[in-house]
Amino acid sequence: MSAPTTATDREADDGPLLDVRGLRTEFRTDAGPIVASNEVSFSLDRGETMGLVGESGAGKSVTARSLMRLIDSPGEITGGQVVFNGEDLLQKTEAEMRDIRGNRIAMIPQDPMSSLNPVMTVGEQITETIRRHQDVSKSEARQLAIESMDDVGIPDAEERIDDYPHEFSGGMRQRVLVAIGFSCEPDLIIADEPTTALDVTTQAKILDLLNEMQEREGTAVLMITHNLGVVAQTCDHVGVMYAGNLVETAELGDLFDRPRHPYTRALIDSIPEVDTDYDELPTLDGAMPDLGNLPSGCNFAPRCPHATEACRTGGDPSLDSVGDDSSRAACLHAADLDLSESTVPESGAGRRDIDRSGEPLFEVRNLKKYFNAGEGVFGNVHLSWEGGGLPTVERRHVKAVDDVSFDVYPGETVGLVGESGCGKSTVARTALRLLEPTDGEVYFEGQPLHELGSSEIRSLRREMQMIFQDPQSSLNPRKTVGQIVGRAMEKHGIATGEEKRERVGDLLERVGLSRAAASKYPHEFSGGQQQRVAIAHALAVEPKLIVCDEPVSALDVSVQAQILNLLNEIQEDENISFLFISHNIGVIRHICDRVAVMYLGKIAEFGSIEQVFSPPFHPYTESLLSAVPHANPDRETDRILLEGSVPSPINPPSGCPFQTRCPKKIGDVCEQELPELESVGGADHYISCHLSEEEMSQRDSFITPSKRAETSPADSD
Amino acid sequence: MSMYNYVFRRVGFMAVTLFFVTLIAFAVTNILPGDVALLILGPNATEQSLEALQTQLGLNRPLYVQYIDWVVGLLQGNMGESLRFGEPVAQLIAERLPRSMMLAVAATLVAVVLSVPLGVYAAVNQNEAPDVSASMFAFVGISMPIFLWGLVFILVFAVWLNLFPTGGYVSPSEDLVGSLTRLVLPAGAMGFALTAYIMRMTRSSMLEVLSEEYINLARAKGMSQRVIVLRHALKNAIIPVITVIAFQFSYAFGGVVVLEEVFFWPGIGRLTLTAIQSRDIPLIQGCILVVALIYMFSNFAADLLYAYFDPRIRYGGDD
Repeated sequence: MSAPTTATDREADDGPLLDVRGLRTEFRTDAGPIVASNEVSFSLDRGETMGLVGESGAGKSVTARSLMRLIDSPGEITGGQVVFNGEDLLQKTEAEMRDIRGNRIAMIPQDPMSSLNPVMTVGEQITETIRRHQDVSKSEARQLAIESMDDVGIPDAEERIDDYPHEFSGGMRQRVLVAIGFSCEPDLIIADEPTTALDVTTQAKILDLLNEMQEREGTAVLMITHNLGVVAQTCDHVGVMYAGNLVETAELGDLFDRPRHPYTRALIDSIPEVDTDYDELPTLDGAMPDLGNLPSGCNFAPRCPHATEACRTGGDPSLDSVGDDSSRAACLHAADLDLSESTVPESGAGRRDIDRSGEPLFEVRNLKKYFNAGEGVFGNVHLSWEGGGLPTVERRHVKAVDDVSFDVYPGETVGLVGESGCGKSTVARTALRLLEPTDGEVYFEGQPLHELGSSEIRSLRREMQMIFQDPQSSLNPRKTVGQIVGRAMEKHGIATGEEKRERVGDLLERVGLSRAAASKYPHEFSGGQQQRVAIAHALAVEPKLIVCDEPVSALDVSVQAQILNLLNEIQEDENISFLFISHNIGVIRHICDRVAVMYLGKIAEFGSIEQVFSPPFHPYTESLLSAVPHANPDRETDRILLEGSVPSPINPPSGCPFQTRCPKKIGDVCEQELPELESVGGADHYISCHLSEEEMSQRDSFITPSKRAETSPADSD
Repeated sequence: MSMYNYVFRRVGFMAVTLFFVTLIAFAVTNILPGDVALLILGPNATEQSLEALQTQLGLNRPLYVQYIDWVVGLLQGNMGESLRFGEPVAQLIAERLPRSMMLAVAATLVAVVLSVPLGVYAAVNQNEAPDVSASMFAFVGISMPIFLWGLVFILVFAVWLNLFPTGGYVSPSEDLVGSLTRLVLPAGAMGFALTAYIMRMTRSSMLEVLSEEYINLARAKGMSQRVIVLRHALKNAIIPVITVIAFQFSYAFGGVVVLEEVFFWPGIGRLTLTAIQSRDIPLIQGCILVVALIYMFSNFAADLLYAYFDPRIRYGGDD
């Protein structure tokens, strides 16, 4: 998105809107002060959008909160200036700051679920901001609130203003937060990961809304995010943070075309792009240093492929101008390094071929899982008082999984992708009998899992392992890593005593940890290392199938790539099958052989990556793929924005579940008939849609033609 | 789920609970040692007169017949006749219920008025001097038995300062001022003892709420500390506290027999004590039932209050 020029014109007379100079924020800890934001300097003009990117712990949020002086004890702003509209905010009194917050500088927070007060109506929460900063009556404020809800695209604002937050979907709540942010027409909006908690199709809509509001109001935006795709789509210029320091600032185009700091290059490279094939995802080894224990030289030197002796010993370099473009970088070698080329190795053969001639390892047939709606014994009993007289009783169900079939062959990775609430995790849990299926059949190596007793299931568990999203909560905190991994071996009679210890050590090395890790406790490891332990634990019993439920979603991008590579490597060596659940299409793209796209408990499309990412498309798959923000500012995608939100699974739409939002809906047939999951073009590619193959093929492949040529079988030979 | 559904379901559960309470009340009183007829007639009664009385009282019928008889009576509003007082149990209880109610309501009011502001104040000044002293105050309140507070209050306010009478009960319809002056000390002592728990609950609930994202956003909107604490935080924080208050209320009701003794307060607590001492089975059963009902209704009231304070419960389950 290019800069809205209307607002930038105003800035000429009074300098930049925001000029941050040497901002320093420290946190007092028992082990001494930690500098979370170290001498950060940047400026932002009126109407401009600046991105602040970096991995977790880089200091982005602390920096942003420091601008509004919202740092809580034990944190403290210990130096610098925050010049806003020509005045240093750090010199203001708390009362003066309160007049600025929400008024001249507003914040749009990350999590729409927890950022609205659950016991106040959304109207109260918008009007209180307006009345706090503007001299208007109660009814005028209400009118302004309704207008602002209208502006952010909340339908029926007049009726909905008295609703409570829980009566809105996540996307609508985020719109309410945007309305609050813009309600006093601020000069600057600080958007702290405003779309991170949202699904990809909702994210696309909110980013569009932010851009539109910004253009209309001429507001400057500081966009804090870890997602370079979001940056590429929204920002004019970008600041990259690492370990509390701003390590590079540049115009958007320059940053992506010619990064000046090796960390920026690594960050860009570690994002799995949907349209690129990789033999191995490019990774950045190691992790961000602990802020309490920084290296003596450049903070990035321990992970930097270009580091020299001077980098390791010379102290942390300052942010200086590089070259003749807009860039500034904190790197000793910024001027000599040419980082304009991606380090991603040329793509090779793509995914290997899977032999599907034999029997599948794991087969799910017409699986259903219905939950009772509501809690407790009578939770799903609903009395309907309509029609007078005695109430009628009905039982309601949430159809979390509704008639799902797929299979997984030995050595294959099958993905389940879809937005939150589509039932992908429930499929996995029900198929493994962690939840009792309502109906359907599941076979593992020909054995009917759905018929087995609990003791037989238990002995089969050895063959089917699971890896979860949050390793911290799935690893017992009171046991050492050696005990955790070893216990699994003992339980299933694989090894004991000295042999067990030997095997645990081997496994830990296999997943990229040291043998010494066995004597440590889970909390002594970083998130990525903990996930490695979880993988070692799963591998300990030599399973044939591992179900991975969002295994990299909680990890930073650079670590994410490491884990994905590890999983790929293990699969190649051991011929293990994976059932891989993720909402991240980029991740699915690079780890899976085949993928099932799920919507409202049903499979909308199933096929190989090649097939699903290329026409013909199920309309839902198409919109999902089109909504992914690309970490490439030059790339324009024709995004399909879906209307409304996912319907309730308690009362799903008649006919096709997607018909209420489908941009290609034909008419009555979609409302009345559930389309079969049918093969298209006679291939192993299945789509559940009433449209003809031709109608589903109006868009080009999301895998670019040149890349596809490289991966065609002819080339791989 | 609509409010109707919710209330309907709760009333259903209460009916089931009540059934079990009648079973237990009946079983316990019949397992108690001591022959009622013997108790009434004294050790010198003859075999015939004992048997005659047992037949008259229906005590030699099978237990289940006696139980059904009792429950049917209950449903008709007949709780039987007290053996000790020779009066209908319902009348005895009806007479004392308002007195206990008055004490329990006053004590709960004292406790809430003291504890909620203290808890909020302590949370806002976490780990600083006001927090520490409020916690100390609460700790002292909870660490001594309730009757001891009664005695201390009598000693200080009645004996030394001579501000209030030492005890006794006067009906408010006869002498309103006299009634209220006699209420102050028992309600104060009981309220003080109840304060600690409610205050600690308020404090921890406030601390949790104050670290929520929406409090952060309220600050980022430029709201003052006072508005944030009172408008944004307290309304959320009070929700779990309501359960504690309801529990403390029902505790104040029947659970503090001792305090009624100390202040010569003729309420349900003392009536229960008398009933147990004299093996007055119908009266014991009646008292158990009434106290159980109070527990159930105060919890029910708490749940309704929940729904009032928390809009998510009002329509919860529909999204």
